[in-house]
Amino acid sequence: MENTEKNISLNPLKFRAKVFDQIASEDTGYSNYSYWRSTFRTFFKNKAVMVLVILIVAIIVMSFVYPIISDIDPNKVALKRKEWNQRPSWEHWFGTDTLGRDIWTRSWYGVRNSFLLAFCIALSDVGIGMIVGAIWGYNKKLDPIMIEIYNVITNIPSTVYLVLLAYIMNTSYLTLFISMASRGWIVEARFFRNRILSIRDSEYNMASRCLGTPMRRIATKNIIPHIISLIIMEAALCIPYSIGSEVFLGFVGVGLPVEAITLGNIVNQGRASFTLHPYQMLLPTIILCIITVAFYVIGNKFADASDPRNHV
Amino acid sequence: MQNNGHIGPCIFSAKDVEIQFNLRGKTLTAVRKASLDLYEGETLAIVGESGSGKSVFTKSFIGMLDKNGSVTGGSLSYRGEEISKYTTEKEWLHIRGKKIAMVFQDPMTSLNPVRTIGEQITEVITWHFGTPHAQAKQEAIELLRKVGIQDAETRYKQYPHEFSGGMRQRVVIATAIACRPEILICDEPTTALDVTVQAQILNLIRELQREMKMTVVYITHDLGVVANVADWVAVMYAGQIVEYGTVREIFSEAVHPYTKALLQSMPQLGVKGHDLYSIQGTPPNLFKEIQGDAFAPRNPDAMEIDFEEEPPMFQVSDTHFAKTWLMHPYADEHRQELEKRAAQQKEQQKPAQPFQYEGAEKLLEVKALTVKFKLGDREFKAVDNVSFDIFKGETLSLVGESGSGKTTIGRAILRIYNKVDGSILFKGEKINGKIDRKKAKDLHMQMQMIFQDPMASLNERAKVDYIISEGLYNYHLFDNKEDRLAKVEKIMGEVGLSSDFSSRFPHEFSGGQRQRIGIARSLVMNPDFVVADEPISALDVSIRAQVINLLNKMKRERSLTYLFIAHDLSVVRFISDRIAVINKGRIVELAECEELFRHPLHPYTKALLSAVPYPDPDVERSKQLISYDPSMHDYSVDKPVWTEILPGHFILANQQELDAYRQEL
Repeated sequence: MENTEKNISLNPLKFRAKVFDQIASEDTGYSNYSYWRSTFRTFFKNKAVMVLVILIVAIIVMSFVYPIISDIDPNKVALKRKEWNQRPSWEHWFGTDTLGRDIWTRSWYGVRNSFLLAFCIALSDVGIGMIVGAIWGYNKKLDPIMIEIYNVITNIPSTVYLVLLAYIMNTSYLTLFISMASRGWIVEARFFRNRILSIRDSEYNMASRCLGTPMRRIATKNIIPHIISLIIMEAALCIPYSIGSEVFLGFVGVGLPVEAITLGNIVNQGRASFTLHPYQMLLPTIILCIITVAFYVIGNKFADASDPRNHV
Repeated sequence: MQNNGHIGPCIFSAKDVEIQFNLRGKTLTAVRKASLDLYEGETLAIVGESGSGKSVFTKSFIGMLDKNGSVTGGSLSYRGEEISKYTTEKEWLHIRGKKIAMVFQDPMTSLNPVRTIGEQITEVITWHFGTPHAQAKQEAIELLRKVGIQDAETRYKQYPHEFSGGMRQRVVIATAIACRPEILICDEPTTALDVTVQAQILNLIRELQREMKMTVVYITHDLGVVANVADWVAVMYAGQIVEYGTVREIFSEAVHPYTKALLQSMPQLGVKGHDLYSIQGTPPNLFKEIQGDAFAPRNPDAMEIDFEEEPPMFQVSDTHFAKTWLMHPYADEHRQELEKRAAQQKEQQKPAQPFQYEGAEKLLEVKALTVKFKLGDREFKAVDNVSFDIFKGETLSLVGESGSGKTTIGRAILRIYNKVDGSILFKGEKINGKIDRKKAKDLHMQMQMIFQDPMASLNERAKVDYIISEGLYNYHLFDNKEDRLAKVEKIMGEVGLSSDFSSRFPHEFSGGQRQRIGIARSLVMNPDFVVADEPISALDVSIRAQVINLLNKMKRERSLTYLFIAHDLSVVRFISDRIAVINKGRIVELAECEELFRHPLHPYTKALLSAVPYPDPDVERSKQLISYDPSMHDYSVDKPVWTEILPGHFILANQQELDAYRQEL
């Protein structure tokens, strides 16, 4: 310690009492940190994520807009042999398949249909999963029963299960939806149950219970706002998984009927002539890969960004 | 350089240290040009509230800042060697652990749970000195003995979870002193421990220091601890050392307004029935540039210059330094004015009349309450056969150490834990077990709870407006939106918050402000009875007094009845009418406040009272610790009963003990 008093000239009049300002003393100017703003800032800080988000949005918009603006019928079969199995060209960007259908057009229809299917599955998985998970998390008595259901459903190998269900029922969008959605919800339910369990007994929830807040308002005000980012993340991760399953089912031959245009069917049809015309399978597969990888990366990065510990 | 009353040579010197953190794209200056010297064999305490930079400052001595922080200015030198230039871990390891060691607050996180404690100590020794394993093991056992762990050979082979909190802290200390460091930095070493254990740990550190001739630096917010251990005290505020001096100078001749205010706001010095001296406002935001004296906005007696010019460090006496413009000759007039006013204030206060129990109406009756919890297959009683009454208008305090079951009692009363044995009657009606829904709902309007941790008890995603009106919504206690907002505004005014705050989110507030929001939330429905579960123990010293005053004011104005749950006897003495001391799920003694302090009978109460830190170095150093050992009671034949030994003074004892206590009286 040392004396740091310096001889600077000071105004003696400044050494008078100042009136105390109660409001100013309370003013901490504590950071105007906002959870969502920080989440999005952290999320978009990553340039790769930015690119992927733009890419995904572009692909999805394109897949919905293309069928409207284009007048090429994706199912139009060419009768002339010359138009079959064409290489990619200016006229047919992705070439044509064994029946002379334009793969470029079919790809967009396929992306749209596959995405819609995946979106519905994600919605039902996360939606049902969340509701069941909330009830499961809040009700201790349900726990042993739910755990058993979870074990039974998850321990059956998913491929066997999907193939079996798709085989029993006639192939259609609904069948595929049912067979995939009948399983995913329990996994989501368990995930949400764990999250809800950890915030259920936190002090602010206890405070709400002491205030006599009804269950409905506790759920909408105390629980959901805290897990909404998880819901978004889970939904984002569900989409590539569902698209992948659809392709897989198409691949093993229990997917949708041949006339349905989905990524699964396109890839499957391209496979048949893979050795002679590899572009027929490769080009749609590339789109498929971009979509699944992008969703996966976006979902994971969003999960990281939504964790307050990563907010910088 | 002059030695300013220090005996030993200076071994460590920090000069004009500035530490900055990058947080969410902004720069936070945690330490703003702080200087400090450490001398051989001395004990220095650094006092300050959370966010004052005391921990960060000392962590920089051993290069342990978090990765987003760095020393951006000033110098740190250890025995003449400049260490702030160190960049690699390898360089730091010459100093860290070997020359300067650190003991952290939470003993559980500083020990590795999957290795035996012996291995952990042995590893430190072999790693630093290359001692062969067998020899290091011997040294480790010796160390364990030294820190007061009995049966060190068997304890050597045990894992951290087999130790109690206090024992674990002893082990941590053993690892810290394993390399015979010259400087031992203890960062809140006893904050996570109970009072009785705290006193033992402080004694241990003191003995070790004497034996090993170490320099010990305590970082603490507890002035009682400071009075107990320190030779020298440095007070930190907003990243600066604002006052430095010997412990007696700081406690009796403090100069800086912040130090003075801290000392005055101790509940030990309060007069019952009157407001405690409290520091206004909340600590400053270190993201912003601070102009002038950082404490000025909270100082009612600030001068104009305090807001404009940063004060230099003035020398008060040989050993005493203070960073305040009050020491400037120009401020003489203002200072004398303040002294005169302080002297006047001291005279007037008289303690209020104690609570009148004659004819008092029983509000709550707890009879033979037992709460059991299941831990795996085992069942244990968190609360064991507890009975007490609470009268309308009084404050009953439940005092006990962690795990004694005091919070459980509070929660059982509020029906958070509903599976309890015994009976709880509120206004003569049974409220535990199954009761009808409407009644349960009505009950929540009359009984409320204030929670311990203001950080965890507010919903982060809801605006203050919603948080406060939650109860109003539940019971439809308003006619329309304007009426609701008016109610919210009124209660916010009562707890001292500006109504502009109602559209903000909780994270924009400091701990004290958040606790006041919590209080507003609980009181907005005008309950009759409030359970306050350690409402101030998570708060900073400078804002505790505010909250205590607020609780007292609310009680007076709304004729509330409190069940106050606490572990800090000094606060309890100030706030309560009666005190119940609880140990391991059983209330061992219950009496009126002054009676309990005057004639404590149960040995546990005595031990608890003797361990309470008192903010006066002379009292602290002469105090005798009484230790309590449950095995002293022989309850094998003669069972203890809950007896009223004097009117209003209850005790849990068997016949033989009762006779002994009666003699004592």
